[in-house]
Amino acid sequence: MLRRREPAVAVPGQAVPPVAAMEAGAPIRQTSLWRDAWVRYLRNRGAVACGIVFLMLLLYCILAPVFSPYDPNAVDFKLAHQSISWHHPLGTDKYGRDLFTRTALGGRISIGIGFGATIAILGIGVLYGSISGFVGGKLDNGMMRLLDALYGLPYLPFAIITLAIVGTVTFWTMVVALSIASWFTTARIVRGQIITLKENDYVRAAQSLGARWYRVLGRHVLPNTMGVLVIAVFLELPGVILGEAFLSFIGLGINPPDASWGSMAQDGREAYRLYPMEIIIPSVAIGTLVLCANFIADGLRDALDPRTRET
Amino acid sequence: MTTFVLRRLFWTVPVVLLVILLTFLMMRQIAGNPFRKSERAVTVSQQANFNRKFHLNDPWWKQYLYYTKGVFTFDLGPSLVLRNQDVNDIVKEHFPVSLQLGALAFIFALGIGIPLGVVSALKANSVYDYAAMTVSNVFYAVPSFLVATLMIYFFALKWGDLTGLPTSGWGSNSAKIMPAIALGIGPMAYFARLLRGTVLETLQQDYIRTARAKGLRHRRVVVLHVMRNSLIPVVTAAGPLLGYTITGSFIVELIFNVPGIGQYYVTAIQARDYSVTMGLTVLLSVIIIVANLFVDIAYGFLDPRTREARS
Repeated sequence: MLRRREPAVAVPGQAVPPVAAMEAGAPIRQTSLWRDAWVRYLRNRGAVACGIVFLMLLLYCILAPVFSPYDPNAVDFKLAHQSISWHHPLGTDKYGRDLFTRTALGGRISIGIGFGATIAILGIGVLYGSISGFVGGKLDNGMMRLLDALYGLPYLPFAIITLAIVGTVTFWTMVVALSIASWFTTARIVRGQIITLKENDYVRAAQSLGARWYRVLGRHVLPNTMGVLVIAVFLELPGVILGEAFLSFIGLGINPPDASWGSMAQDGREAYRLYPMEIIIPSVAIGTLVLCANFIADGLRDALDPRTRET
Repeated sequence: MTTFVLRRLFWTVPVVLLVILLTFLMMRQIAGNPFRKSERAVTVSQQANFNRKFHLNDPWWKQYLYYTKGVFTFDLGPSLVLRNQDVNDIVKEHFPVSLQLGALAFIFALGIGIPLGVVSALKANSVYDYAAMTVSNVFYAVPSFLVATLMIYFFALKWGDLTGLPTSGWGSNSAKIMPAIALGIGPMAYFARLLRGTVLETLQQDYIRTARAKGLRHRRVVVLHVMRNSLIPVVTAAGPLLGYTITGSFIVELIFNVPGIGQYYVTAIQARDYSVTMGLTVLLSVIIIVANLFVDIAYGFLDPRTREARS
């Protein structure tokens, strides 16, 4: 408000460009939380390497099926169980389908379900946690008691029951099944974060200036939970991807001929004594993705959460 | 302390009721009546008798009360698929096996994971540290079905003559080695990572410097001051990890053909034996709730601050 009034006060006719005042002093390089975090993240060599591997894996899953000469679902028993060769870099499966192409397609489904369920978990967690933390009082107490009750329950049985309710397993039912009983931790983290943020001076200042609750929440509180949420994406992703793989492995996966890495591993298990590569390839893909996500989460936590930085 | 324990104990009852309610409501969404003509050859009068015996004509809340009464009197109802067997028989037959497997896996995880993490932290940034942490990070990420399959492939099939380990089963002591390791290796990696972090943090505390300054021997400082304070987070982690051990045993029991509750859970889902699914889900949830109860009480003894905060 003050700055806007200044030109009116200044003597008319003396057109002083407002930039000149800034340039007079030493050049101040603007820095933000995110740029600082990025610089700190780049210093963590393990996290950077894992980030690169993660991106390469994503690129492989997106691009390999586009440029592949093979039809991923074409059955040809003459080509079944081929070992690694120039034409089939990862061999073929029991139907003679090219595993290099199918692994990429399976990755699309696994990673897609992983991110879908993670976003759903964060959505529910943010909604629940922000209501509980922001409103406070008796509502907060009740909601937290409910969360205490549900905390630590294994999500797999509830995911299995959800899949049994809907009957056919598609991409979206899998997302629902995986997120239905795994949002408790996120809700807790968000609530904790919001309660700390609520006591900050700038929030009180906004409130005393007469800002409505939705403006305080949307403008001052929620944006500051972004750091925690970015970390939470990569904290939740490994569990969700492993959960999907478990469900597929016990035969509750997405319907064939589509396949995720978990259901490919289930297929590979039938003949692992003769052709171990067919279970190793999708499992190693899962392992690589989970390992990278863990390291990225560690790197992000060190970069974004100042409290854990010294260790 | 007594009030804290009593409050905590008292609070467990509504939690168990709530979890039974949630499971019950979810299971009700699965359509179908097991005693319809299309499912089993029963006459109309028999069907009416069945409906009366299992309260299928009552409103849902009455059914819930009957079921809850059943849970608290250790009667989980009959199996829908296996004749002349009820869920109790299945639990009695299969649960001890799962319990033994879980206990062995937990012993393995603690016995290897804790020393691995502690020595890593004491020799931070040494070759040993990097090796141990690489191993832990890999096993933390790899899905258990890969570990299990590879163990069978190498130790039982390829080098079976040397090791003498069978590929599957639960009959002999040598058959128990591989399932326990396959199930425990994930928690082992988790404990190693956890312990490395907490020991590094403890080593920076002032009381460690004081102990050193007093001239205590290195071994005494490590055992008495570092270890005691670093092991508290292990207690907190034990509750959620129990859930992991139970749900993880689904896969391990399936692969090694161990006649435990996890394998039976998967069979029941595939056979659409919903009363068994429901009974086992309730059982697993109650086990985890009780484990969390013990963890909280143990934590109250170890760390007085939590005790005061909660009561």
